[in-house]
Amino acid sequence: MAATPRRIALTVVLLSGLALLSFVAGRVLRPQTETPPFPTGEIRIAVDASYPPFAVVQDAELAGFEIDLGSAIGARLGLPVRFVNISYDGLYDALISGQVDVVISQLLVNPLRMGDVRYTRAYFDAGLVLISSSATPIGSISQIPGKRLALEFGSAADAEARLWTRRVRPFEMRPYELTEYALDAVRLGEADAALTDAISARLYLRAHSEWNTHLAYVTQAPFAAAVALERASTWKAIENAISALMEDGTLDHLLSRWL
Amino acid sequence: MMVLGWCLSLLVPAAHRAPLQPQQTVLTEQPHTCVHTNLIDEVDEWKIQRSLQLVREMGATTIVEFFPWAYIERTEDVYDWSQADKIIRHSTNQGIRVIARLGLVPGWARPGDTTLNYFPEDAFPDFAQFAVDFATRYRDSIDHIIILNEPNLAFEWGFQTPNPARYVRLLQAVYQPLHRANPDVVVLAGALAPTLEPDGSPNGLDDLIFLERMYAAGAADYFDALAIHTYGFTEPPQAAPAPDVLNFRRAELLYEIVRQYDNAATPVYITESGWNDDPRWTKAVRPSQRIAYTLDALRWVEDEWDWAETFCLWIFRYPRPTGRYPDYFTLVTPEFQLKPIYSAVQAYARGWESEGALWLPPPAE
Repeated sequence: MAATPRRIALTVVLLSGLALLSFVAGRVLRPQTETPPFPTGEIRIAVDASYPPFAVVQDAELAGFEIDLGSAIGARLGLPVRFVNISYDGLYDALISGQVDVVISQLLVNPLRMGDVRYTRAYFDAGLVLISSSATPIGSISQIPGKRLALEFGSAADAEARLWTRRVRPFEMRPYELTEYALDAVRLGEADAALTDAISARLYLRAHSEWNTHLAYVTQAPFAAAVALERASTWKAIENAISALMEDGTLDHLLSRWL
Repeated sequence: MMVLGWCLSLLVPAAHRAPLQPQQTVLTEQPHTCVHTNLIDEVDEWKIQRSLQLVREMGATTIVEFFPWAYIERTEDVYDWSQADKIIRHSTNQGIRVIARLGLVPGWARPGDTTLNYFPEDAFPDFAQFAVDFATRYRDSIDHIIILNEPNLAFEWGFQTPNPARYVRLLQAVYQPLHRANPDVVVLAGALAPTLEPDGSPNGLDDLIFLERMYAAGAADYFDALAIHTYGFTEPPQAAPAPDVLNFRRAELLYEIVRQYDNAATPVYITESGWNDDPRWTKAVRPSQRIAYTLDALRWVEDEWDWAETFCLWIFRYPRPTGRYPDYFTLVTPEFQLKPIYSAVQAYARGWESEGALWLPPPAE
């Protein structure tokens, strides 16, 4: 069929109409422009300030590693930071209801929460660690049989070690009243290794910097920041800031101030 | 295709069955011993049963369990009782009494951008109807119902400022209908959070002030018993109470208010208590202290608090770890590993001899 001038004109008109319709529909149906990452002009950070040395109230002021981390994120993004002290029970609700932009409060990544929130990369691992003398290092559960393992009675380490008794050949469990005593036991030769959480271990080793030790993680408990799922730009800003703070060594520097 | 689907379905492991046992009885020398459970969030029925078996073996006669309105009546007038039925069936089978706590508002009864705790006043009649349906269904099994949790906290109202008069209006909405549904029901009010938050705080209101104002608003006519939450935090159970201190014996201050208003005719149930042994939380103690304090508290209730109908420890077990301090209130891990605190409470409740020294002496420098 030959293309007549009239047919060509009709086609042009139709295509123009379609283009116009498409443009209008696009304007109407296009998702609204994404909310800015921090619509209030500040970063509202929820913390549960009852966890030294991560966040705690000192002389009516918030202090701790996570307070420093939040402040560093604000500095990185060029925005003021406002911390909101909320007990753990209300942290996720505060995030989901939009009262805060981000939670930085020793949150473990929880798959059941992922319908509502998105986590950043982990900024600290609070898992259980084996501490032994660097002269006789013990780096894993496979080296435990036949050894003396010190731990705090009734602690998470105690529970983990009780599980080990069913998984590996016999070893001697040496329970103490305090984690510090369990670590003392290794330092003073009463035990070959201590099993404890990474935070307790780091705090103890800060106070005994002369002791050369070997530290090996045996479980993981990664702490991450959380942002409401629909706040993609907020998550990206926080994630990028934490990554940058890791890469330039700021995170390690802040950690060393507190742990 | 259907045949293939059927063949694949054969590969799915069969669910663990949880057949009822012969009727069980709790053996205990401390019948006021009780524990708060979290069975409503348990997926597997056998885990509900296993939890209740362990509660019975520990020597606890009673559990407090949460039955959320938002779970059971997810759609208006459409009820899903299946999980609640399992809990009641196995509790009854183990010989354990259930104190039910009701709360959490379904989406259809509150504005769209609110949390499960947001409770608009115009939803009170709907909640009352749910409470009546609950009390009617379980009339043969449950005689104790707690209305809401910690209503003196803003969080528990979906971040609305706590208001004692509003809570009393809720009690008023449910009280008579519940009694018509089950004449034997004991309506428990309070369950207030121990807190020192002052007037005007966005977070909550001091529990002593809140209780006083409940009575001032006419609460006495709309509840039968007071539920008390009392935690020791970092203090031993013997530590003296004071209005500006949060400790175990704060319960005595709440009881004093009850006595002022009704000459102690109102029964009191300790529905939450205990110590926490998180290694970092500022309100926690060491695991060894937790055991000692908990046993001392049990003795204290037995010797000093004859007005306490129950003494419930928070909390028996979570289906999944929270990853935070709540895990350190538990007596049993999600994997059913018994913590030393479980064994200690069990020995006390059952009248068994203690195991002797549980830890070694500190190493000498």
